[in-house]
Amino acid sequence: MAREGETSQSKIEVRNLTKRYGELLVLDDINFDVAEGEFVAIVGPTGCGKTTFLNALSRLIPITQGHIRIDGEDADPKRHNISFVFQEPTCLPWRTVRDNVAYGMEVKGLPQAEINARLEKILELVGLTQCQNLYPNQISASMLQRIAVSRAFAVNPDLLLMDEPYGQLDVKLRFYLEDELLSLWQKLGSTVLFITHNIEEAVYVAQRILVLSNKPTKIKAEVKVDLPRPRDFRDPEFVRIRKHVTELIRWW
Amino acid sequence: MTAYREVRVRTPLALKILPVLSIASFFFLWEFVVRSGIVPSTMLAAPSDVARLFVVKLTQADPDGALLQEHAWVSIQEAFTGYFLSLAVGIPLGLAMGWFVMAEGLARPVFEIIRPIPPVAWIPLTIFWFGIGLPGKVFIIFLGGLVPCVINAYVGVKMTNPTLIQMARTYGASDWQIFRQLCIPSALPMVFGALQIALACCWTNLVAAELLAADAGLGFLITMGRRLAMPEMVVLGMVMVGLTGAVIGVVIDCVEKRLLAGIRR
Repeated sequence: MAREGETSQSKIEVRNLTKRYGELLVLDDINFDVAEGEFVAIVGPTGCGKTTFLNALSRLIPITQGHIRIDGEDADPKRHNISFVFQEPTCLPWRTVRDNVAYGMEVKGLPQAEINARLEKILELVGLTQCQNLYPNQISASMLQRIAVSRAFAVNPDLLLMDEPYGQLDVKLRFYLEDELLSLWQKLGSTVLFITHNIEEAVYVAQRILVLSNKPTKIKAEVKVDLPRPRDFRDPEFVRIRKHVTELIRWW
Repeated sequence: MTAYREVRVRTPLALKILPVLSIASFFFLWEFVVRSGIVPSTMLAAPSDVARLFVVKLTQADPDGALLQEHAWVSIQEAFTGYFLSLAVGIPLGLAMGWFVMAEGLARPVFEIIRPIPPVAWIPLTIFWFGIGLPGKVFIIFLGGLVPCVINAYVGVKMTNPTLIQMARTYGASDWQIFRQLCIPSALPMVFGALQIALACCWTNLVAAELLAADAGLGFLITMGRRLAMPEMVVLGMVMVGLTGAVIGVVIDCVEKRLLAGIRR
């Protein structure tokens, strides 16, 4: 909890980020900073280009203008540790749970001893130790997304991008996994950008919320969430922030 | 963890009796039309004659110059040499074409031109090149098996889940790593499918090749039957092609099930 109050120098610097598909302007001159170890949520109306935004950040798609810097250097998946948790669980069906979690570290070429040490820690933290030798088709859907989250944290990412990872789960399970995510983040100190269309979820997990506008996407507002954890979604202050963000998003 | 309970499925009585009845009446009718003279015996041999010749041919090389098992062995050798060659060339080629732009750009156009040419059409050229011995027929069989290997491996790689590839990219995986760690495992079920299809193609083309250019083999036995005006030898050759092909199919099926059991849990 100690790191929540800290303000270190910018870990991530996004300047003039612009993405055009031909004539169609999708991302329009986006600027923001993320501090080391910060948890930032990004919300916006449906179809506002959230996924394009993340894909641009992770350098999966080329950007038209501007730059994204991590620790002052241009972001590059080969050099920086960028992790991405997708909406759909991305498990390799021919690998066991353990080997799936190890995949990111293998790509990074970490020594086997280091991989094993991190695996023990992560699998224990997310409660996958029991089923580490099972194959993805032998475990439940919520477990699949935990594999992806664990794999993402295991590489000690400079930047962890999450694209509505819990969008397809029921409410009870979502709360449970959000708590798990927060505890991973607090223990491992990663910098997280969390995209969601669920405002309550954003207020629950984030330290800061960036509200996106309709296309062409800009950052419309920035909302600080300075609530103690664990947060209570019935707390009047929580409700006030949630309503405030909802007002910012509504376009009807 | 999950144990599968064995479930016994009862076969209905009709499905037990009817196949036996069907086969019995098929042979009976066949025997009848030949014996009664409805079909002259110069045009079709009765099953009993074929069975007699089968027994004779196991120990007697005349009149075609080789024992039945020798013919079968020659055919099997040719088929498998060609088959394994087509796997060894076709699968890596198809996998590479599915992922590497260079491979697809260079190999695909040539492949698409050669693909529609039936392997049998190559026979005259192969006789110029190799004569009528083993290499020529192996070449024809190889061409027949190559096409399904390339196509299945290619499609298998193309079916790799794009989100998995994106995931690997965000971790900074190289093209080669993605190919080896994601595309090849994803393509494996399709590749195993190719094993079966290619074998069927190889076997069919083998007989075609032997009909036209051979001095031994099951296809050659059929041709000799025609030249010697012995319909029972023609039919024996056909039956042996069918039987041997079916046996090989069953063997491959068992092998495939074993291999896939290790991959798909």
